[in-house]
Amino acid sequence: MGIDQQPGYVLHLRAYRETSLLLECLTRDHGRLGVVARGVRSARGQALRAQLEPFQPLLLDLLARGELATLRSAEPAGLPLRLSGNAGLAGLYLNELVVRLTGRQDPHPALFEAYAQTLPRLAAAESPGWQLRRFERDLLAAIGYALQLEFDADGGEPLDPQAHYRYQAELGACRCGPGEAAAVRGADLLALGQDRVPGDARGLQSLRRMMREVIRFHLGGAELRSWQVLAAAMTRP
Amino acid sequence: MSKLLGELIEALRCLPGVGAKSAQRMAFHLLERERERGLKLAGALDQAMRQIGNCTRCRNFSETPVCTLCASTTRDRHTLCVVETPTELAAIEQATGYRGQYFVLLGRLSPLDGLGPQELGLGLLAERLGEGEIEELILATNPTVEGEATAHYLAQLARAAGIRPTRLSHGVPLGGELEFVDRGTLAHAFGSRQALE
Repeated sequence: MGIDQQPGYVLHLRAYRETSLLLECLTRDHGRLGVVARGVRSARGQALRAQLEPFQPLLLDLLARGELATLRSAEPAGLPLRLSGNAGLAGLYLNELVVRLTGRQDPHPALFEAYAQTLPRLAAAESPGWQLRRFERDLLAAIGYALQLEFDADGGEPLDPQAHYRYQAELGACRCGPGEAAAVRGADLLALGQDRVPGDARGLQSLRRMMREVIRFHLGGAELRSWQVLAAAMTRP
Repeated sequence: MSKLLGELIEALRCLPGVGAKSAQRMAFHLLERERERGLKLAGALDQAMRQIGNCTRCRNFSETPVCTLCASTTRDRHTLCVVETPTELAAIEQATGYRGQYFVLLGRLSPLDGLGPQELGLGLLAERLGEGEIEELILATNPTVEGEATAHYLAQLARAAGIRPTRLSHGVPLGGELEFVDRGTLAHAFGSRQALE
């Protein structure tokens, strides 16, 4: 099946055979795809190879047969985006999230949309934390695991900004004491739900902890490699 | 087919780009025409596989605990160049006339491949930076997203140790025409343009 001018991004690439690359791509209409790019590591393929870096918006022409698609051509869709420093590390985290939480050939247009919006935000943001929380929220919603950030899980009452909750992936926000390690303030949950930056660094930190728990749950208890690899590498302000 | 022949063909398939057909051709070629050199190959392979390890200072391949480059007394001990692979070390040696020392990561930071600071031997690198001899850390990781992320991380290590990190510059290839340069490279070269002296 031919796929033409499909908006997509390269999530990951690795050497394949003598001169080829095996790409993991996120496409708008076909979800995540494994793609073989033949001959791009040779001198003649250099111009195409340079396009096939993560974070660049591309238009892909593919030939999809069976498990792996073949790349026929790729052209840039817009200006090249540069994610340097911490933004680049955050981008690698996005890519691992998408690869680990979605299956191949399982399209989620909303996820693609969120991904495409997050990259330029990362490039512009001073610190990537909040942008990553927004993306995690949208990713979970797109793949059918939306967070419940309006009502509590105990009685379906609206979240109280003053109260503390413990977010359980399979239930939702359950009230708990403020001293609990996993406690998140109601105000911070509401902020995430309404796409507002939490009031302080502590709020962002507790949301980060909470998201990690939720993601771990959906990975069946597994860890993301980025958590170990990038935690050491990120510069903290 | 004899059992030994089958095993040889299967074993040859571990080489990059060698499938069943090429492996069979290689095996027959060695048996029919190159017995002696085949034995030499077997000997060299056996020795190399058993004796070559990684240099304890730069992680490059070496059969001695410290490789010849690191042991050399004529090389500059104040600059250290970090590369991803031994192949890239060889490329820099051949092309640049660089006379300092190296550190080989044997990879780059890549969460999806499970490569982190530990796999890249960054503990050893930090030790070397802490020895106090090095003044410049040349970051010659590849201009890929993961190579850049690695360079970013290493630059922090260097600054923390009071060492000046430098990065290979990116740009238009020699003899290239702007029209045919890919957009990313051109944008990069344009962004990091330099004043003419």
